[in-house]
Amino acid sequence: MASSRDDFIIAIRSAFLKKSTQQKFSLLTLASISVFIIVLSSLDFKAVRYLKAAISEIVYRSSFVVSIPENMAKSAFTEVVEYTTFFNSFKKNSVELERLKSDYVSNEIIQYENKELKELINDYVSSSDKILAKIIVDHDSPFLKSIIINKGSKDNIKIGTNIYDQSYLVGRVIEVNYKTSRVLLLSDLNSNVPVTIAPQNIQAIVTGAGSDYGQIKYIKSGLTEDLVGESIVYTSGTGAIFKSGVPIGILQSFKENSVNEYKVEFYSDFSQLKYVFAEIVTKKEISQTIENNDSNEINNPIDAKIKILEDELKIIEDSNQKFQVENDNLKNEINNLNFKISNLNNEISSKERTISQFNLDNKELEFLRLNLEYGHKCRKSFLNTKGYNVGSENYKTCVLNRGKN
Amino acid sequence: MASLRAKGSFKKLYSWLPILILYISVLNEFDLNYLNLKYFSFNFPFILIFFFTLKDFKHFDYILVFFAGLFNDTVVGLPLGLSSLSYTLICISAAYIRNITIRPNPVKDWFYFLFIISLINSLNYSLLSLFFEFELILMNFIVNTFFTFLFYIIFVSMFKYYLKGLND
Repeated sequence: MASSRDDFIIAIRSAFLKKSTQQKFSLLTLASISVFIIVLSSLDFKAVRYLKAAISEIVYRSSFVVSIPENMAKSAFTEVVEYTTFFNSFKKNSVELERLKSDYVSNEIIQYENKELKELINDYVSSSDKILAKIIVDHDSPFLKSIIINKGSKDNIKIGTNIYDQSYLVGRVIEVNYKTSRVLLLSDLNSNVPVTIAPQNIQAIVTGAGSDYGQIKYIKSGLTEDLVGESIVYTSGTGAIFKSGVPIGILQSFKENSVNEYKVEFYSDFSQLKYVFAEIVTKKEISQTIENNDSNEINNPIDAKIKILEDELKIIEDSNQKFQVENDNLKNEINNLNFKISNLNNEISSKERTISQFNLDNKELEFLRLNLEYGHKCRKSFLNTKGYNVGSENYKTCVLNRGKN
Repeated sequence: MASLRAKGSFKKLYSWLPILILYISVLNEFDLNYLNLKYFSFNFPFILIFFFTLKDFKHFDYILVFFAGLFNDTVVGLPLGLSSLSYTLICISAAYIRNITIRPNPVKDWFYFLFIISLINSLNYSLLSLFFEFELILMNFIVNTFFTFLFYIIFVSMFKYYLKGLND
């Protein structure tokens, strides 16, 4: 019993520690180094990060070179398949193209409006540029679904940068090196994308299934019954990891254990990707944008809008100033006119007074003339008892009436 | 003279062929799954490393195996050092079985290989899911282990031809 245990210990020691003539390191040393590297790589030290990036640069390039024969064989096979189905796909594409052309114009308008509205909602202005990136490594590992692209921190790629195949979402960057980056595909198990399912407007999370489709997860209970096949799945933008409104795929229903299940069929075929677009997004605070408005080039609608409003405000201020000056002038003129009016009123009243005096004098004169002529007929005397006393009101009326007759 | 030199370089290259194939396989990460069978995959480096360590092949340097592991981690996107640890553990297991075996038996080696790769894949799965919080499908690991085990016997016969050619 003891000898068998000794044999075991000797064998173990020999396996771990013995170096043959060709070996420079014992296996125990290498195993320890491996564990040390695992621990170091899990800690986010700057030096380790740079070292990893350097190793990745070399390995990705080497991998690209080594994969050339296999990729050539693969592409040759794909080309043969494409040529055999070329005519049918051409006819199908022609019909599709006509339909898409008609949709294109209205989509452009909607996109522009959508962009403008989104920018109004957010407190920042985002401008994005899509840069073309070549896929240098796309090994279909059964454990991790990722691709390597030939753009890195040199091209402003950051962790989380969204990657597209045309306008369809492919994944996001999870590792950035100087001239290369690793993109986690939507089909990977670790990929979680907040989505909206249209037209039902249901919010959910799409996770990769480790295969060429996605799974609907974290959907509110009860809403599953509202799901219908062929519904469109696009990013909701929740969590600000992915841009909102980017198409992902179509919802497909299938039966599993006589229960309706749903999966997301991606628009993009990840196994056929050769080139992708990386979206470089730059965010600017609106306040800063206004301050720097004069010096910066106007390259987005909100800037243009602010500029128009500022111009409009300036015009209004100028015209307001003019109106104020004009208003003052008019006020002065009104005052002058009022003064003139009051003078004239005074003049009129004095004239009126003169006229009334004149009229009065004229009446008096007329009475005196009539009095001379008809006074004896109206005066009370011995012969005329029906007459009136001189100076009384009746006498005056009598003289005037006689004059009228 | 020139032909002798050319023959010598070819022999040298031929003797380093296992390491060369190991590097090509880790950099290329081919799994021969062109039929797109669900879960199908096998780990060729495991077979190669186990066999040549078992045979104590003189041109099979452990440090190169260790670097191959680092390359594999970079290509696949696993935490750096994990594949190196797996490859080193395979080397240790193969060295151990070589030391305790007096009369080698291919079938015993085959099943021992199954035990070792199951253990290593379990360790990998545990480390990735527990410490690095990777979402993984266990079935992938089980199927990978099973196919690696199945393909072992096929590749072993090919490697034996290679060793025979080298000795001749």
